[in-house]
Amino acid sequence: MTFPRRPILFFGGKGGVGKTTLATAAALEAAAAHARTLLVSTDPAHSTSDILQVGLGPAPRPIIADLWAMEIDPEKEADEYIAGVKARIATAAPPRLLEEVERQIDIARVSPGAVEAAIFDRFTRILENEGGLFERIVFDTAPTGQTLRLLSLPELMTTWMSGLIGRRKKVGAMARMWRNVAGSEAGIETAEDPILAALEERRARFHRARAVLTDPERTAFVFVVTPERLPVWETEKAVEALSRHGVPVGAIIVNQVLPDPEPGVTEAAFVSGRRARQAECLARISEGLGDWPVLRVRLQDTDPVGVDALQRIRPEVME
Amino acid sequence: MTAARGWIEAARRRLRAARDIYEGIYIAPYRSAIHREYLRRHDAFMLLGFSDLLGVPNPMQFYMLELYPWLIEDFHRWHVRMGMEHPPEGGFRCC
Repeated sequence: MTFPRRPILFFGGKGGVGKTTLATAAALEAAAAHARTLLVSTDPAHSTSDILQVGLGPAPRPIIADLWAMEIDPEKEADEYIAGVKARIATAAPPRLLEEVERQIDIARVSPGAVEAAIFDRFTRILENEGGLFERIVFDTAPTGQTLRLLSLPELMTTWMSGLIGRRKKVGAMARMWRNVAGSEAGIETAEDPILAALEERRARFHRARAVLTDPERTAFVFVVTPERLPVWETEKAVEALSRHGVPVGAIIVNQVLPDPEPGVTEAAFVSGRRARQAECLARISEGLGDWPVLRVRLQDTDPVGVDALQRIRPEVME
Repeated sequence: MTAARGWIEAARRRLRAARDIYEGIYIAPYRSAIHREYLRRHDAFMLLGFSDLLGVPNPMQFYMLELYPWLIEDFHRWHVRMGMEHPPEGGFRCC
């Protein structure tokens, strides 16, 4: 079975389930089919750079024939988004008030959802700009949660922004009427055009993005899940939420599935291989996190359920 | 000459008086109706768009930050009009 073949693929799932690896594999498959492909990575841990063994930046960089890749730094993206907002409003209020406005914007910058909102805004711009240059775009999106909410929000967003812009225009119209009737002593300001223009541009861009994201011919959302209780539960919720908003789910990829036992082949070699890989990560933990107490808990053969089982897994320090 | 000027001045005074009466009967009530409607729409806009400043999570918040300058100048009058003596916590510090 191959990855769904659509011009646009999004890979979703919790952190650590293998989205980045699988998104890269999907991009390689698309390029192998001679489709001009762009891989967009948002992984702050630079896993894609590691996998491709090539430094990636904010502009598409050629990797192999028909494959380009770029890396978005989520925090930088949010900083640039906020800087853009501040630049647009620089002349919209007197200095004293502007200072308070910027204080409020700085609070928004560190609120949950800010980074995901900035990334989504960037995605919509990628769909418009790079979308015209590449036949296939593969996104390795952020883990489930805020991102899925934003992807399922285009409909609400469009309705909301249309309502707000419409009301603001009506307020503007009323304000003009008021000014005409009352004379210059009325204290009602009319809309600043550059701000309204920015909002209209964003609304229109989201509207166009929504058309693409809900078109099953053009987009598929691929969920990566590992065969464990919580990821499965979260993915069920996420799929349901996206389907409700018309975002096409293309496939569910179950990653890290233990292979079936093969007759005549011991599983010891497989376990040794995994243990070796694990040792690398354990070493990294000692290095990077060794300043704090580190406790280890053995992997159990079943999920501990019930008080007795939980008693058995009280952390033991392994020598 | 003086008589004609005097007549013109009297005519101007009467025109001004007529205009004031006209304005009082037709324009002034309309003025307050327009103003009330303006405030109603404005308040709805504020509540819809900036609920995050009242502590209500608003997923649209990040996409409407450009509206804050418009908002702040009206914010004080708005929260007073809504019956809040002080601005809501987390919002603009206007008073």
